[in-house]
Amino acid sequence: MYQLEQALIYLLLNFFGREEINLFLRDPQHTATIVGTLIAVSGALLGTFLLLRGMALTSDAISHTVLLGIVVAFMVMTSLLGMDPEMSSPWLIIGAAAAGVATVVLTELIYRSGLVKQDAALGLAFPLLFAVAIILVSRFVDDVHLDEDAVMVGEIGVAWANTNSHCMSNCKTVTITPDDERAEVTRQCINCRSEGLNPRDERAEFAESCSNCGTYTPSQAWRAGLLDQEPDLVFWPKSVTVMLVMMLLTVLFVVLFYKELKLSTFDAALAAALGFRPGLLHYGLMVMVSLVAVGAFDAVGSILVIAFFIIPPAAAYLLTDRLPVMLGLSALIGAAGAFFGYDLARGNFLGLVQIDGGLVWLNRVFNLNLPETWDSSISASMVLMIFFFFLMSWIFSPKYGVISTMLRRNNQRRIFSEQVVLGHIYNHQDAAEEAYEIAVPTLHEHFHWSRVKMQRVLGRLRALQLVQVKSDHVLLTPRGEQRVETFRHTQLAGEAAES
Amino acid sequence: MWLLIGAMALLALLFVPFSQLVLGVRYNYTLRTVALGGTLLGIVSGVLGCFAVLRRESLMGDALSHAALPGVAIAFLVAGRELGVLLIGAGIASWLGVQFIYAVLKTTRIKQDTAMGTVLAAWFAGGIALLAYIQSRSDASQAGLDTFIFGQAAAIRSRDVELIAIVGLAAFVVLALFWKEFKLVTFDAEFAGANGFRVTLLNSLLSTLIVVAIVLGLQVAGVILMVGMLIAPAIAARQWTNKLDQMVILAAVFGAFAGGTGAILSALDRNLPTGPMIIVVAFLLVVFSVGFAPGRGLVWTLLRSRRDRRRFAAQTLLEDLYHYALDHGSPQQPVPNTFLLGVGGGTATLGLRQLQDRDLIQPEGDNWVLTEEGIRAAAEQAHNAQLWDVYRQYNEELDLPLIAEDRQKNIRTLLPDEAVATLERKLESMPNSMSPGAPHRVPQHASGVEI
Repeated sequence: MYQLEQALIYLLLNFFGREEINLFLRDPQHTATIVGTLIAVSGALLGTFLLLRGMALTSDAISHTVLLGIVVAFMVMTSLLGMDPEMSSPWLIIGAAAAGVATVVLTELIYRSGLVKQDAALGLAFPLLFAVAIILVSRFVDDVHLDEDAVMVGEIGVAWANTNSHCMSNCKTVTITPDDERAEVTRQCINCRSEGLNPRDERAEFAESCSNCGTYTPSQAWRAGLLDQEPDLVFWPKSVTVMLVMMLLTVLFVVLFYKELKLSTFDAALAAALGFRPGLLHYGLMVMVSLVAVGAFDAVGSILVIAFFIIPPAAAYLLTDRLPVMLGLSALIGAAGAFFGYDLARGNFLGLVQIDGGLVWLNRVFNLNLPETWDSSISASMVLMIFFFFLMSWIFSPKYGVISTMLRRNNQRRIFSEQVVLGHIYNHQDAAEEAYEIAVPTLHEHFHWSRVKMQRVLGRLRALQLVQVKSDHVLLTPRGEQRVETFRHTQLAGEAAES
Repeated sequence: MWLLIGAMALLALLFVPFSQLVLGVRYNYTLRTVALGGTLLGIVSGVLGCFAVLRRESLMGDALSHAALPGVAIAFLVAGRELGVLLIGAGIASWLGVQFIYAVLKTTRIKQDTAMGTVLAAWFAGGIALLAYIQSRSDASQAGLDTFIFGQAAAIRSRDVELIAIVGLAAFVVLALFWKEFKLVTFDAEFAGANGFRVTLLNSLLSTLIVVAIVLGLQVAGVILMVGMLIAPAIAARQWTNKLDQMVILAAVFGAFAGGTGAILSALDRNLPTGPMIIVVAFLLVVFSVGFAPGRGLVWTLLRSRRDRRRFAAQTLLEDLYHYALDHGSPQQPVPNTFLLGVGGGTATLGLRQLQDRDLIQPEGDNWVLTEEGIRAAAEQAHNAQLWDVYRQYNEELDLPLIAEDRQKNIRTLLPDEAVATLERKLESMPNSMSPGAPHRVPQHASGVEI
């Protein structure tokens, strides 16, 4: 991790100054947006395949149970190995990924017993694992990093503050030994209390302890004021690196196994017959989902991460039928949600609406006592933005949107009703019962339509010069007759041949 | 079934003194309230969970419990921390969630799981955003609002228990009134629709009831674990019965047991959370049911398949032995061990052990020889196989009753006596090739072994 960051920084230093980089990353908005985008892109790529495989809620289960993996790994590391791990430690990530896969395995075991349906198996497995995790946390772990709230919410807004410092030049590490003149040495009597001695007593024994001895990294040394000259430091947020690695792994996974993923998603039987091992790929996908879920855990919490897996692909699914386009679109939607989400958390909706104004209005109209500045969770706001994009594509999608579907239906209904009326007139205009079958005032009764609807249809037909009204009777124009005959030839050809 | 219900009730009653004397739980007002609340919630969610499970909408419970959060937050903003109002807000929010899911399913090609995931995440995000906004304000009156996320059973007061009891009772009354309709839409919605029932309305009413159960349970179990509390008792109950009314009663009993004992167990230690303990107990009930439910249980299935495998091994081996011996002269002919193992492999070893235990064969150097009894059994078995062959070929011609073909069983026990007599006559009238003396192999033979 550390080396990777170093390499990245060297790369960036070719284009930007050191101070520029520091300033850029120190802005909470920039770091939050970067981390959010990375999560969104990895989630969207994997989520597309989950959605197409009908496994969207597996990500829900996995993201919950990674907590168990983290807790168990944490307990093993602290109590058995005596380490003090932090949340981004690779061991915790491995433990969590293992727990994610364990969920899937447990679900499949329950399901394969044949006694429990698939959805119920999932609904049984993950609350159990999560419950165990909660019991373990509240019973055995006393650590500020690992409480229940951190699990749920996470805060991407403080990602900028948790950094690794990299020294670029002017680097000096400082080591203070007890002999050093800068060492702060205190003498303390070690047997006074136990033996009830006065420190002046000659039997008293003293030990010297140094409160500031040790090795200082350049940044620590600078902060402690041990250096005269400021080292050139770059502060790099840890979660950016973690999520960058996760995203690169995801992209690599999707690119490398694109063909296999596509085939096993759309036709698992064929994939198996061709020797592609869809089972193995299935678990590979689960491992990737777990990894991304763990990586994102710190930033957005275990529940909101589901949104990044499910909602962008769902939106993209409404916009396109092609897999590559869907992958690209869902990544784009996720990234856009992350980008605009930060502003939403600060009360600015797409630069169009200020939420604060709405709150003031609410207070005035309903006489409420709401605080009038909107300052909310950034990760939740990112999800809300993504959901907004989902709503937009649901309503406006050119092919599957609500509006286009409605227009298409209306169009079909209109064509159908015109067709029916034309056919009716065609059948009756030369027959004896003509008088009442095609009389304008009663025409609508033959169709069980309202008078208004009939008028509308007739109006259109007359405008198209397909019918004419003569002495209160509707008759086809030559154009209309031709239309009906063409229709009978093309559409009713089979019927005509039969009769 | 009733025996099980009685046993569970007895177990629950015994659990109270057990926890007092052995585990050292001290009962006080709080614990009694929490245990009572847990029991009541277990009953409500167990009963309504049955419908969620049977409609294959188990995960709907998960989506809806998450979707309740923004309602809690808005209700708090509008009316302050009043449990009844918060629950109404929660109910409205998750009810809107259901409607959204159905709307998406109806108008797009998005599948149910994705629609539920979308609602779950989006509504929950809305809730978190509102909670964060609420927490940004300075007064401390919002304290405890996020207990809805994890549930905090210890905060339950007797007023809350009364609320649970009243609302739960109301839900049961509705359930009883529409019992027949709910049953129909659960098992065959199309049939219900064809018979003029208002399926959409009934579905909506049923999901409203499920929302009620979820909302009541949020306080104890929290949004994440609520789905377990909803479906685990129902899944456990499903194992014991195929009847809906029995399943519902049993789920209520299981739910009550899990809720009550879970709450008491969590009093063992100050740091043990109640909701997760209830889930663990409920899961143990599921494990017990999946393992031991009569007929369906994994243990019985395992035993049955073991017995079937052994019987199959013994029968095929006996047949192979008999035919080999006949092929080489007489039934008393020794049969080389290598042949049997080569043909049968692991199954042969299993079969040999059993035949030897039943004294049907005896070893003779590297060979096996059929005993007198063995020859009789083998001949009888071969005869049975021939009767099956004849039955398969001529049952229509001879106008015999239809039975499922199971060559491991004796056909005489499956068919009436006169039918067996007809079969025997047919067999005798047939050319010699099918008589017991001359070995004859039909391609569809049970062992599938070609010699």
